[in-house]
Amino acid sequence: MIPRPDPTLETLVLNMGPQHPSTHGVLRVVLKLDGEYVLEAHPVIGYGHRMHEKMGEVRNVSGFYANVGRMDYAGALSFGHGHVLAVERMLGIEVPPRAEYIRVITTELNRIASHLLWFGAFLLDLGAFTPILYSFDDREYILDLLEHVTGARLTFSYFRVGGVNRDLDERFIQGTRVFIRRMRSRFEVYHKLVTGNVIFRKRVEGVGVISPDMIRKYGATGPVARGSGIPYDIRRVEPYSVYSEFDFDIPTFPEGDCFARYRVRLAEMEQSLRIVEQALDRLPDGPVMVEKVPKKLKLGPGEVYQAVEAARGELGYYLVGDGTDVPYRLKIRPPSYSNLSLLNELAEGVLLADLVAIMGSLDLVIPEIDR
Amino acid sequence: MAVITPLLKGLAFTLKRFFSKPITYQYPEQKREPSERWRGLHRLKTENGQLKCVACGLCEAVCPAKVITVEAKETPDGRRFPNRFVVEVTRCIFCGYCQEACPKDAIELTRNYEFCGYTREEFHMTRDVLARN
Amino acid sequence: MTDVFPPDLIRLIVSFVIVVAFAFTNAAVLVLVERKICGHIQRRPGPFEVGPHGLLQTAVDGVKLMAKQMLVPRNADAGLFRAAPILSFVPPIAALIVVPFARMLQVRDLDIGVLFILSLAAVNVLAILVAGWSSANKYSLFGAIRAVAQNVAYEIPLLLSLLTIVIWVGSFRMSDIVAAQGGFWFAFTPMGFVAFLVYFICGIAETNRAPFDLPEAESELTAGFHTEYAGMGFGLFFLGEYTNMLLVSAIATTLFLGGWNGPAFLTTAGTGFWATVIQTLWFLAKVYGLIVVMIWVRWTYPRVRFDQLLNFCWKILIPISMANLAVTAVWLKL
Repeated sequence: MIPRPDPTLETLVLNMGPQHPSTHGVLRVVLKLDGEYVLEAHPVIGYGHRMHEKMGEVRNVSGFYANVGRMDYAGALSFGHGHVLAVERMLGIEVPPRAEYIRVITTELNRIASHLLWFGAFLLDLGAFTPILYSFDDREYILDLLEHVTGARLTFSYFRVGGVNRDLDERFIQGTRVFIRRMRSRFEVYHKLVTGNVIFRKRVEGVGVISPDMIRKYGATGPVARGSGIPYDIRRVEPYSVYSEFDFDIPTFPEGDCFARYRVRLAEMEQSLRIVEQALDRLPDGPVMVEKVPKKLKLGPGEVYQAVEAARGELGYYLVGDGTDVPYRLKIRPPSYSNLSLLNELAEGVLLADLVAIMGSLDLVIPEIDR
Repeated sequence: MAVITPLLKGLAFTLKRFFSKPITYQYPEQKREPSERWRGLHRLKTENGQLKCVACGLCEAVCPAKVITVEAKETPDGRRFPNRFVVEVTRCIFCGYCQEACPKDAIELTRNYEFCGYTREEFHMTRDVLARN
Repeated sequence: MTDVFPPDLIRLIVSFVIVVAFAFTNAAVLVLVERKICGHIQRRPGPFEVGPHGLLQTAVDGVKLMAKQMLVPRNADAGLFRAAPILSFVPPIAALIVVPFARMLQVRDLDIGVLFILSLAAVNVLAILVAGWSSANKYSLFGAIRAVAQNVAYEIPLLLSLLTIVIWVGSFRMSDIVAAQGGFWFAFTPMGFVAFLVYFICGIAETNRAPFDLPEAESELTAGFHTEYAGMGFGLFFLGEYTNMLLVSAIATTLFLGGWNGPAFLTTAGTGFWATVIQTLWFLAKVYGLIVVMIWVRWTYPRVRFDQLLNFCWKILIPISMANLAVTAVWLKL
């Protein structure tokens, strides 16, 4: 129940959002406060609802593909990846290896960009204004690279059922290699400026501790789960695409606090760099699109659930086809939705400032929750 | 000491950045060059002074945002051309599907990323406006 | 005593005008300096469009703020709501009159100079309290509550660290304190250095600047106590903040960094025109040096949490400054 102001009580009901600097968009959290201490926090979602799932049921899959990047604007390619994989699995399309490699390279780059955006925003929530500019400096390189191949900087619309839109060129490959070298040296920068900073450490260590049981209870995934010591990563537990061919670690930290989640994401960026590097080294030649894609993608009848590891956790597409080219049902399981549901339990008894830190560490992208 | 050193390191770090050159673009004066594949404002391509478009309506069909309206007509010598071709640019999501779908390579998204106007009507771009873009 | 302008009334008016003009110019310059420094730290040029290298940006901002309507929220206590910005702006300016910019450049050399400044600086918290309370906004109220707890706590180590110098010199008078630093500056003695460090940290907290900017705490309280202020109401808070920074740095300079004394041989204790100019330049150089450090710190660190802020004060700063005071007292007795 959303708390209502009650003048007879010594508590205060504070409406945080939907317009608030640290709710990252249009999340509304109704707080019941005793002084600065949070008694209850109730997330109210739906301010960014754009009926994406319904749109998936009224237009054909390739038309809907333009939508998926708009759900999670920070990691658009992961969302696209899940969608095309689900459709391909239903249609039984075998994608050329080069296309899969390209998908992995661009998705991993996008994951780094998403984590960099989170890094800046998280520190902004903690009151440090400068790191976001440094992380955006690096993110800019990725966006330039992705823009070079996809033609857009945020809503890429790059993958297609059966492959990718256009091939990589030599400039992208060279640029990515330069970026990998640059990015490796930049982690030191982040550790120097942020990780060691005692003020930062005091703000995040031991704050918002999530136990593995809670993770299981709420179905939280991604860096949030891995920050609680659960090595759950779709890329490893249900390998899709060509991820099984690469050598990478799933960084986990058992502490479960904001700092663990922070370290998971920083470590994940390094792992993503490793994946990109290996994929570039082994990039096969060949077409980037299957020879014959039917004009009308007749779905089903049947159903398929395809999960991928998006930047924020497990992203699932549940696709039900009824024999036409428009899905009968398209259910999306966005990672942030489950991660947000932790907030109610996490927020009990913390300070207002900690609540901001916790919300920042969950890495919420609201349009993806509201869909 | 273990507490203070990282704090000083942070200060030294920002100080070093203070003396480095800004990395931003001074936008209106200094423009960023978008990539070759950039999906910007639409253009109807012409060939020998004639529109390449044959008004087949594929772009209209594929457009996820339904912003394209095409009305075909035939010239006396039997060539199809778009009598009316409107793109509502304000509602366009710049996915580039129209460009991909076009069998005649007649529509493209240019590298122009700065277009502005005062009225909504200016963005209901008609055939001749699109050809000039 | 300084008698630059003999007839007292003229002297008063002239110095009043000069002090106010100085406070305004200082704020205008500092806003630009802060934005430029922050920009360069973040690898961007800062304001750049208005005037050469954006030098006129503050002037334009000032015009904008003045042109804007000052809205008063419906449930606000209108009188207090309007009084608060003035309350935050006037005391730091008034406190400037005892600051010795040079040997001959001081409006009033009160024999309770240090006390005078501290009592006026304490009004700042009242301004924030009034602003936050009268806004009828929960975020503003939180800002106000935080400000009171924070300022009350940090005033103690601040006073204790200043007291170290005062018992050392044996006078509250600003000119005596400066004169005592002709040979060495207190910041370069062990006890003085500790006191200076404590004072500087408390000064940042007193002016509510990051990493101690809890009353404003953008990511938590939107804008804290001045959430509801628009136009010149906000502008005056801004002016107040920058004047406060100036004041805090001026006290630090006077008490710890030798006031208008220059280092070693580059100094003059004269009373002539040129001596005054040189002394003023030394003084301002130190003051603005400290302010730049404050700005630099602000754009480097994240914000501390409220309980950590208070713990840091009560458990670390106050014991340190008390021990420091005791050591100084014993050492002086020996």
